[in-house]
Amino acid sequence: MSGLKIEHVYKRYDNEGKGKKKKVNDFAVKDLNLEAEVGEFIALLGPSGCGKTTTLRMTAGLEEITDGSIYINDVRVNDLEPKDRHIGLAFEDYAMYPPLTVYDNIGFNLKAKGVSKEEIDKRVREIAPLMQCDDLLDKMPVKLSGGQKQRVNIARAIVRRPDLLLMDEPLSHLDGKARQAMRTEIKRLINEIKCTTVYVTHDQLEAMSLADRIAIINFGVLQQYGTPAEVYDDPVNEFVAGFIGEPPMNILETTIIGENDHFFFTFANSNLKIQVPERYYNVVKHGFKCKMGVRPMDVLIGGPDSKGTPEHVATFENLGDERRIGIRVGDLLLMLITEDETRYKAGDTIKLEVRAEKTHLFDIETGDRIRSN
Amino acid sequence: MARITLENVKKSFGKVKALDGISLDIKDKEFFVLFGPAGAGKTTILNNIAGIQVPDEGLVKFDGQIVNLVDAAHRDTAMVFENYALYPQMTVYDNMASALRSNLYKKDEDYINKRVHEIAKMMSMDYLLERLPSQLSNGQKQRVAMGRALVRMPKVYLMDEPLAHLDAKLRNAMRTELKGIQAQFGTTSVYVTHDFMEALSLADRIAVINEGKVVQIGTGDAIYDLPINEFVATLMGDPEINIIPGKLSKEGSVYKFAMKGSGREYELPVDQDLFAKLDTLGVKNVDLALRPQHLRYSFESKPGYLPCTVYSYESIGNKSVIVAEIGGQQLRMIAPNGLRVKIDQDVYVDLDLSHSLFFDSESKDFMARYNEAEIRRIAEPEEEG
Repeated sequence: MSGLKIEHVYKRYDNEGKGKKKKVNDFAVKDLNLEAEVGEFIALLGPSGCGKTTTLRMTAGLEEITDGSIYINDVRVNDLEPKDRHIGLAFEDYAMYPPLTVYDNIGFNLKAKGVSKEEIDKRVREIAPLMQCDDLLDKMPVKLSGGQKQRVNIARAIVRRPDLLLMDEPLSHLDGKARQAMRTEIKRLINEIKCTTVYVTHDQLEAMSLADRIAIINFGVLQQYGTPAEVYDDPVNEFVAGFIGEPPMNILETTIIGENDHFFFTFANSNLKIQVPERYYNVVKHGFKCKMGVRPMDVLIGGPDSKGTPEHVATFENLGDERRIGIRVGDLLLMLITEDETRYKAGDTIKLEVRAEKTHLFDIETGDRIRSN
Repeated sequence: MARITLENVKKSFGKVKALDGISLDIKDKEFFVLFGPAGAGKTTILNNIAGIQVPDEGLVKFDGQIVNLVDAAHRDTAMVFENYALYPQMTVYDNMASALRSNLYKKDEDYINKRVHEIAKMMSMDYLLERLPSQLSNGQKQRVAMGRALVRMPKVYLMDEPLAHLDAKLRNAMRTELKGIQAQFGTTSVYVTHDFMEALSLADRIAVINEGKVVQIGTGDAIYDLPINEFVATLMGDPEINIIPGKLSKEGSVYKFAMKGSGREYELPVDQDLFAKLDTLGVKNVDLALRPQHLRYSFESKPGYLPCTVYSYESIGNKSVIVAEIGGQQLRMIAPNGLRVKIDQDVYVDLDLSHSLFFDSESKDFMARYNEAEIRRIAEPEEEG
């Protein structure tokens, strides 16, 4: 049994209405296929407007499915009312009932379904400690901080023991510190209740830290679906490579040249020269143009004996936990991260080394990953 | 060019005290960041500088001149907001030009044309000039909003979370760009953010704001390495700094720290200056604070390592965070990616105490830290002139 199956799903918003020109919109979601196992936590990740929330809303039944099928626990739900889909919803804004206490807010949906008082009490008191809101039960929503409201909001979504939990950017209203704490709590919670979960976010960090698998979507099209390690280490294209990771992967246009039986990446208006890993030798040739990707943590500052290329520091950022250095390569900045405590300044010279074996190649036109044969 | 001074500024909205005696001295050409959690009063400070709001009490001065009664329009500031605030019916060019077409700052069209193109080129958006805002991505919109502020060369730039809506990739790029632009123009800038990385990266100095008060003012290094209290310490760094309550005791010349959660007693590495300061302060109940990068873990028992269980394990891309737990005390530490870690499994933790900070567990105020003199030398540069 799969917890969620999305099969060839399309979504197109109608643009018909009085006084409007008839116009066919692009698909907001195009031929989407996804499957989550029971108890699996998947994240839908992509920039704003990519179709991730539309997908969530179709799954919840808040939006018509233009074409294709959605199954929850192997039951086709296309024609089921939202209330019959056995789902729990937690959205970005909390939408709590202001005149009700936290306790009554959490129990509200159960009460509406006619669950007995004793059973409601049992379930609310079972869920509250999981979301660390047992001390809040008697409070009114106005008395709660943003983080507390979101805890209550999630507790309310899971108290019904849904087959599928749907969360849409639940942390985006919280400030940095509260967000970090909630991330850990959600991770604990999901481990505890083992409910199939779909989590929509534009924040790659949330997706990476929470999800078992991540579906990366752009312009309504699924780009890659894999574990955090897969999408990080083995991106299928330039979009995924650039979207996952903070700071993002350096992606630079390069011309490959052959010299003395070796190939090197070279860059317009730059002296930088990086050896191409040998596994690519059968897919590149002298004069081959592509894009080279390398993560900032795979660019290093060489020691005094380094054979690395001498380069000038263009930008230096001290971020406390780490320091980031930008090197100008043509018009672009090549970023590197270091825990080295040295405070560089613009104009300083460093020896630049690149972990060549960690470089990726992308097609200059399509952005698709070029793999070694 | 302007020096901006706030003297004991107070502002209330009904019963809510938004600003409770804010005093700041922002130097000419400085990039000054107002940093703090949501609701701290950062934006209210900015609005009082802009003249959008007027203090109930206290003075706002530009170059020594009191401006409390000067209109927002006449203060010659340029604001950049989180939500861009572009004119939807105007092209990018006209949006940027609008700042120079208002009656107050009117320039002739030749000048405007030159200036808009100059700024657009500098911000690599000259190819966008004919577009309407609806045809721009969020990153491009924010760039236009900034461009519009830049064309005018005001006395001061006021920026309210201008990067908050952008995704990680754009935010990084814009941050670097912004820093370059400010360095180039040297215009005094006041920048509001709740993102510690933005604050550390951009600021010449940071003011940490909480509940309408200034908590600490200093360089990024000072705020990060010499936080005035635990609140400031926990705002900087991701994952958050570990706060470990315990008791100090002294035997002979050696200081010991007994950790509350685990009951483990550690002999503190010798730092004579630190020990002398602890002697003077004489506080016994302390919170020891240690950044996650100064904890080590092992999945096998090792001498000296604390036996803990895994509370959570999160991959965050280039690295992971292990949260270990012992006796109700959580310990956060950095680990590489791709470890097979199960929640509630055993983990052994070692603390590198030679990076510790000490806070009074009653007042939560900073007491002392390791290597303090050296760190102070870096973090608190001598005032020039």
